[in-house]
Amino acid sequence: MTTAVQPAGGGGMGRSSGGGLADVIDTILDKGLVIDAYVRVSLVGIEVLAIDARIVIASVETYLQFAEAANRLDLTQTEEQGIPGLVKDMQEGGAKHKTRGAIEGVGEKLRDFVGDDDAERAVRRRRRQEEE
Amino acid sequence: MAAEQTHEARAQEERDVGCYVYGILPGDVELTPDAHGIQERDVDLVRHGEIAALVSEIELGTPIGRPEELTAHQRLLDDAAVEVPVLPLRFGAVLTSREAVEEELLAANHDQFLAALNEIEGRVEYILKGRYEERVLLREIIEENPEAARLREEIRDRPEELTHDARIRLGELINQAIAAKREADTQRAVQALAGHAVANALREPTHQEDAVQAAFLVETAQRSEFEKAVEELAQEWQGRVNLRLLGPMAPYDFVITPRAGA
Repeated sequence: MTTAVQPAGGGGMGRSSGGGLADVIDTILDKGLVIDAYVRVSLVGIEVLAIDARIVIASVETYLQFAEAANRLDLTQTEEQGIPGLVKDMQEGGAKHKTRGAIEGVGEKLRDFVGDDDAERAVRRRRRQEEE
Repeated sequence: MAAEQTHEARAQEERDVGCYVYGILPGDVELTPDAHGIQERDVDLVRHGEIAALVSEIELGTPIGRPEELTAHQRLLDDAAVEVPVLPLRFGAVLTSREAVEEELLAANHDQFLAALNEIEGRVEYILKGRYEERVLLREIIEENPEAARLREEIRDRPEELTHDARIRLGELINQAIAAKREADTQRAVQALAGHAVANALREPTHQEDAVQAAFLVETAQRSEFEKAVEELAQEWQGRVNLRLLGPMAPYDFVITPRAGA
């Protein structure tokens, strides 16, 4: 078995609902090193389903949904379109809400794993001096 | 007789415990006492030469893969990845014993694992996920595509059973247009972020309205620049694409295991 650090190709098909668990499934069931000395362990059924169903297939059903969404779309609402958005932004405390949303995700992770100096991490490097 | 059965049962139990492996780390690491893995087991290190495996005991009889187990696997690896280089294993790697981990996994692959660890030293992964805002997306497509606009007029407020063929054609056009936009927007994201990353790896879409899914390997020293660039991209796409950034995490998308004999 050889190991290389380089982009792994392909794979990654999943039906992500954007939830945290979907993100985890996409990552740890589909990516990462595979070793060939496994003891056979069975996976809980629902997660196996999640991997087996990992493909986006354009179907007649999808086409009809897109068409209906286009049908419902009101093109004359171009100007009004900004208004509900604006109200929403104000309610949520600023026009940069979406951007902040994206970055908040990082912030949480940073707080969880980096920013919080009080929290002990599961693994840390030994100081070089201690080894001697 | 009864005592003998108990003894047998205990022996059976011992055989039914395996060694779950989370990932490979450098040998010069230590664990904090409260590190827990899947099934709430204590996490431990199996060392060999200059590398170590992050492991915990696991019951072999019970299927694994419940949400809390998946989360525990990733949390432990991501937690470690911020501190030390980690080669993450795919979920579900179990060997028969600690001895098997040392001999069959660590000793057998020592030099390659060590080289890979050196390569990812000081680097972490981020995953960027973007999803189109449907109304804005459809508006763009209908404005840019005269045939889509015509078909939309044709089906407009008419019953589905009378406009079935036109609806299929319109949906197909929209689907094609989304694929083209996804490709262009993925390129745009890579162009905006690649300068702050060592490497990138595209992921396939997992939803019809995905704009981008890509992993980036980023130097620890470049993390704030990378995150700033993501923020700028999020501003550029505000209202059009909802961006999410996951990480920093272990480099799942950048370790590969070529098939034996391949």
